[in-house]
Amino acid sequence: MTFSGTERRRQLVTAGIGTALTLVMGAVLIMGFRLATHMRASINALQTASALQAYPEEISRQINSLRDRLEVRAYSGQALADLQGTVTRFDQDLKQLSASGERSPQLGRALLLWHQYGPVIESVVIFNGQPYVDSDTAGSSLSREGREHYAAVKRAQLFASDNAKALQEQLAALATTLQRNSSDAAAHLRTLLLAGVLAALVLAAAAAYFQLTRSRHERAARDAQEQTRDILKTVREGFFLLDANYRIGSVWSEALTRMFSREDFAGLTFEELLKDLVPSATLATATKYIKLLWGERAHENLMKSINPLGQLEVTMDNGHGGKETRYLQFDFHRVMGTEGIKHVLCAVGDITSSVLLARELQESQENANAQLDMMLGMMHIDPLQLVSFLDTAETGLKLVNTILKDPARTDQEFRKKLAGLFRELHSIKGEASVLNLTSIASRVHALEDMVGECKKKKELSGNDFLPMVLKLDDLLAHLRSVREMAARLTALKDTIPGAAAAAAAVEQRSHKSAPPAGAPERPAVRPVEDLSPALQSMAARLAQDHAKCIKLTLSGLGDVPAPYAATIKDCLIQMLRNAAVHGIEAPEVRRAQSKDDTGVVQVLFHKVTDGYELVFEDDGAGMAPETLKAAAIKKRIITPEEAAGMDTRAAMALIFRPGFSTQQDVSMDAGRGVGMDVVARSVYALGGKIGVSTHPGKFTRFKIVLPSAEAVSTAVA
Amino acid sequence: MSSSARAMNGKRSFKLMIVDDSNIMRRRIERSQQFEELELVGSAANGVDALELFKKTDPDVVTMDLTMPRMDGIECIGRLVALKPAVRILVISALADKATAVEAMEKGANGFLNKPFTDRQLNEAIAELMR
Repeated sequence: MTFSGTERRRQLVTAGIGTALTLVMGAVLIMGFRLATHMRASINALQTASALQAYPEEISRQINSLRDRLEVRAYSGQALADLQGTVTRFDQDLKQLSASGERSPQLGRALLLWHQYGPVIESVVIFNGQPYVDSDTAGSSLSREGREHYAAVKRAQLFASDNAKALQEQLAALATTLQRNSSDAAAHLRTLLLAGVLAALVLAAAAAYFQLTRSRHERAARDAQEQTRDILKTVREGFFLLDANYRIGSVWSEALTRMFSREDFAGLTFEELLKDLVPSATLATATKYIKLLWGERAHENLMKSINPLGQLEVTMDNGHGGKETRYLQFDFHRVMGTEGIKHVLCAVGDITSSVLLARELQESQENANAQLDMMLGMMHIDPLQLVSFLDTAETGLKLVNTILKDPARTDQEFRKKLAGLFRELHSIKGEASVLNLTSIASRVHALEDMVGECKKKKELSGNDFLPMVLKLDDLLAHLRSVREMAARLTALKDTIPGAAAAAAAVEQRSHKSAPPAGAPERPAVRPVEDLSPALQSMAARLAQDHAKCIKLTLSGLGDVPAPYAATIKDCLIQMLRNAAVHGIEAPEVRRAQSKDDTGVVQVLFHKVTDGYELVFEDDGAGMAPETLKAAAIKKRIITPEEAAGMDTRAAMALIFRPGFSTQQDVSMDAGRGVGMDVVARSVYALGGKIGVSTHPGKFTRFKIVLPSAEAVSTAVA
Repeated sequence: MSSSARAMNGKRSFKLMIVDDSNIMRRRIERSQQFEELELVGSAANGVDALELFKKTDPDVVTMDLTMPRMDGIECIGRLVALKPAVRILVISALADKATAVEAMEKGANGFLNKPFTDRQLNEAIAELMR
């Protein structure tokens, strides 16, 4: 806009100066021509005047000669003829000089003199008769005509002697004037030509200057154009202008081609640009918005604040046959001209990476929050218990890893692997739930889900286990971070005197309660933890999760010998979970059966003559042999024929079979069909026995008998 | 700006109408606005009442909620503008989506303010409206 204005002004100036100089040149040439013509006339006049100078004397001389001839009565015809010729030439030349436009006073005076002189001579030259009487021979006397002629000649001679000199002087002066005029004119002409040359030089210089500046400006314009092209080529935003018909102009930045995977945008409407990329509702809003931009009602900041295309999700081909979602940011700026909005500049940025980054940030923020929650949760957990759990969980996950790596070929082998994974994971999940370590429990649950999905598959291959390996890695990493956090927490607790004292107390008590393993010289052996708080908290959580009222009474758990601690804990967790999910009925069910709303779970551990006995009893729904059989048939653990041949005792034993569960829904706590088989196996592993007795609607009681601890210690050692 | 904008102490004076279904919000807007030249001529809690009141009081400046019973703000804006094209309408809404804002602007609103807002934001938006 500014550029073209300057250009126009420059062109005008150039044309003006050119015209002026051409006019000057023209004037100079015309004046020069006129001056040259004038000079030629002057020179002619000068030549004539110079020639005329000689005439008066010549005329005087010829008059004298004529008179002499007449006096001696000699032949005068020739002399008269000469005089006649001279006078005629003089008169002609003088008239010609006068007619040439020469108006000098000298000429005027010369003419005046000649006017007086002319008639005098005229009377002489008109003579054409016989000057002598008889003949034109010598010695004769003058005739009458001759006497008159002689008198005229004498008058003319007299006049000539008086005036010829004056006339000659006038003519000489005239010649001088004419000469001066000529030389003046020559000087003028020289000046004029000089001026013309100067004007031509100035014209040439001006032309050169303007040509130079023009080419400089053209170069600058070319440079500017090139720079604009470079900018448009390099800039990462997509730039284009929209006209009043919402059409894209002829210039756009190259980024636009990449963003929209198309080459040509010229003349495209904004609607057409977005048509296939966004939902129709968004397109309609965008179109309305562009219309509002062209109306000048709302100022730019307001328009910016309601820009509906600030983060536009577009779906487009990724060039490999697939679809790709990208986020584009449109910014609009009005370009004002002299008569309102001229264009709308549209800047498009691909903000996909920043949008994804923002999401990642949000996720990590959520993760951090979850970690914080977990940390706060961990603060309520006895550090020793936590460390013990982490150790167990890590061992368990290592076992899971080993199972995953186990070579398997047949479907049966794969299924066996899955069953093994299931049991281990289930047990870890159970412990994590007890400690309220939901982040771990949910991760294990997810892994368990994957195993569950695999189980449903008709055919299995090694590839089905790959995602589990990845998930397991993630789980182990998480476990490490929890351990780190626990360490930091412990360090924090150590700096708080009260907490440190409490921790010390816990330590001491643990040592006391574990005489067989807690000897100071064997620090590697972990002291027996107090199970009670963990179990109570688990019971409370289970009751809350399953909308049941549960009262847990524990007795004698402080006497559990160290070698049994882990197993007893696992068993109790499993049984408590089963009791809460399967055993204890919902309060309204209990009420209907005239039972107390609160179900009671009793745990009793005590020494017997040749070992220990753990009794676990709930006053819940109990188990009906037929229900157990039906569930086992459904799970294909037994066939209906087998079931028919089973007595009550055999039916009860079904609960210790792998994969058995009566719960329909899978939850964190039960329903996976893993549990009691694990308990039974671990009891058998310690050389113990497990038994169950139940009464439908009344109770379920498990009794676990374990050999004396010393025997186990030595056996283990 | 309008035939009913009157000269008062050498300053132009504007009649203000507040439309919002929340009583608290109406009071908040009334108390927070700091313009001497604004004179509150009425408040309405829904679009229908707003229309009635508008016909009676002929305000120059209107603050408009969008989510209201009986007649929503978007429709109300359209009707007010049809009655008096020179009216200045500031939409004050908790609806954060840009499509609604564009819709309101298209119907004839002149400004948009998101709830919650600060006093300063409100006054800036009104000042912009009266410019």
